[in-house]
Amino acid sequence: MIVKEQVKTEITPDGAPRETFVINLGPQHPATHGVLRVKMVMDGEYIVRAEPVCGYIHRMQEKMGENRTYAQFLPNTSRIDYLSAMTYTHGFVGAVERAAKLQVPPRAEYIRVITSELNRISSHLVWWGAFLLDLGGFTPLLYAFDDREKILDLLEAITGSRLTYSYYRIGGLYNDIDDQFIKGTRDFIAQMRPRLKMYKSLVTDNIILRKRLIDIGPISKDMCRKYGATGPVIRGSGVPYDVRKIEPYSAYPEFDFVIPTVEDGDSMARYLVRMEEMVQSLRIIEQALDKLPAGPVMAEKVPRVLKLPAGDYCYAVEAARGRFMVRIVSDGKEIPYRVKLRTPSLSNLSLFEEASEGMLLPDALALMGSLDLVIPDIDR
Amino acid sequence: MEAPQGSSQDLSDCLPYVKFAKLDELLALGRANSLWPLTFGLACCAIEMMAAGASRFDLARFGAEVFRPSPRQADVMIVAGTVNKKMAAAVKTLYDQMPEPKWVIAMGNCAISGGPFVFPGQYAVVEGVDKLFPVDVYIPGCPPRPEALIEGLLKLEEKLTGKRRWPVVKSE
Amino acid sequence: MNADNPLAHLPIPFQAVDYAAKGYHLDATVPPDQVVSAAAQLDKEGLALDTITGVDWMAQGQMEVVYDYFHPAKALRVVLRTRIPRDNPELPTIRKVFPGADWHERETHDFFGIRFLGHPNLTPFLLPEDANYHPLRKDFTT
Repeated sequence: MIVKEQVKTEITPDGAPRETFVINLGPQHPATHGVLRVKMVMDGEYIVRAEPVCGYIHRMQEKMGENRTYAQFLPNTSRIDYLSAMTYTHGFVGAVERAAKLQVPPRAEYIRVITSELNRISSHLVWWGAFLLDLGGFTPLLYAFDDREKILDLLEAITGSRLTYSYYRIGGLYNDIDDQFIKGTRDFIAQMRPRLKMYKSLVTDNIILRKRLIDIGPISKDMCRKYGATGPVIRGSGVPYDVRKIEPYSAYPEFDFVIPTVEDGDSMARYLVRMEEMVQSLRIIEQALDKLPAGPVMAEKVPRVLKLPAGDYCYAVEAARGRFMVRIVSDGKEIPYRVKLRTPSLSNLSLFEEASEGMLLPDALALMGSLDLVIPDIDR
Repeated sequence: MEAPQGSSQDLSDCLPYVKFAKLDELLALGRANSLWPLTFGLACCAIEMMAAGASRFDLARFGAEVFRPSPRQADVMIVAGTVNKKMAAAVKTLYDQMPEPKWVIAMGNCAISGGPFVFPGQYAVVEGVDKLFPVDVYIPGCPPRPEALIEGLLKLEEKLTGKRRWPVVKSE
Repeated sequence: MNADNPLAHLPIPFQAVDYAAKGYHLDATVPPDQVVSAAAQLDKEGLALDTITGVDWMAQGQMEVVYDYFHPAKALRVVLRTRIPRDNPELPTIRKVFPGADWHERETHDFFGIRFLGHPNLTPFLLPEDANYHPLRKDFTT
């Protein structure tokens, strides 16, 4: 909390008064990626203390969880983190299936993996474009959105929606994929790999980007652990924590992929982790397409009126931003008693106050961009 | 009395080369073809607004790609996303800070009427941005496609100039 | 240390739980005055704070505070619970052990009115600054 004592005036050796001042970043600001307000005590261009203020897009998701049946809550899951909507629906649907002991058919699990990984790539592309926009480069945003449109075309053909899908259902999927989707995805993979190489030479190896990101915003392993930061934040600090490998779920154990981890802990490390994750996601999608089993995409005997046995159930997935965990507390009725959504952006942003002390303002914005925040993910 | 010089007789000779219009119409045409939106993406609709500004859907061909972060430099506020009670004061301040003439486009179901977040007993969402200030164009959808946003801008242009500049796409 | 309970050497009454059915490995209920020492012991074991939340058991006149922890290197999900009386819900803050608890406790206070003693800034986090209501309580009405 910013207290009056932190704003102080001193007289410098040449007799001029120097004063720290409080400024507001947001809630309407092009660099805050949503409605985040950061109250900052500034000493010139240096941040003395930055305090994020949240709640400007609080949409009562957890309260709505107590107001809707399990199936009625599905559209909400896509809107918590709309860039990574598939994985969030996966988290909720997985929790309900775990509690109801529903067996999801293998074909549905594979398609869930394929669509989640496509979603991860499209989320990282938006992050990449917006991050570079913050740092001052407009061009990568247009390239990123161009690639993203190809993913959205594929997903729109099977789900009907471009952004907030609600494709997964409790027990499986809404509908099956067709050959056009499979061919389109293979074409996309073939076209995306050289594009990622082009991004590396255009942007990642760019001297200006390297000077803006290397050694900026160091976050240690212990800081990540104490704040619960996950995803590319913890992997960019040298800890290979990924829910897909540590608490494997769905069909992930059957694929061969690497968890990119970089030791340095600075913004460049987090950047490199995400760029490499896109390469690994393409690998996973390719293997899933090669091994896609035939069969139904919906479990048998999913009750129309679903009541979970009393107790609490958790399910965690690796979303594009980190660990997303759903905790459902049921009292045996068809409406949950409590739905808790553990979102990665809240834990990732909570370390910003400590990490940004003493930084220059543009460097602090580079740090915030490298954390990859989606503000409705924090406020829910 | 003799017709003065520069009378309609002389002027009609110029008609193939000179176009006359009311100043109002010229100003309206200028404003409509260069609407500068305020960067006001609040939630999911903001991503579709960014996609509308990107290469495939390209708002630049309608003169509207220059998103201004400062309300003092913007003509139209595209409210893209849910307006919260905590945020409502800030939204109203931004609207008040925009100089006249200004317009508002409510993009998405949340800006129109609170969207999917309205339920009995809701405590946080403002049910529609028109509870705060007047709205000119409503674009339904959750989120609306970028083409829908472009159609909304064309409707706003039609509201300004009285004419629609792009033909309505008719299905075969 | 046994395979079922890798934290059996700690003085916390963990029960082993079927992970496939529930999604976590160990579950313990402790009295409210022991949440800080339990958090300190889990911190020494290298666990990370996942989240803190509350559940309003209005019919029983209690509120439950649930602490979720995870290990960043191995599959170990730990749940710590405590119960406090609903008409006077307070318990100590764990933010000296896990600084990340700062925001989780503020959010739990926002939603349930649970007071975390020793927290320097228990002001509204997600609700407006002047909010004096706690929406996730079961007796909340607008």
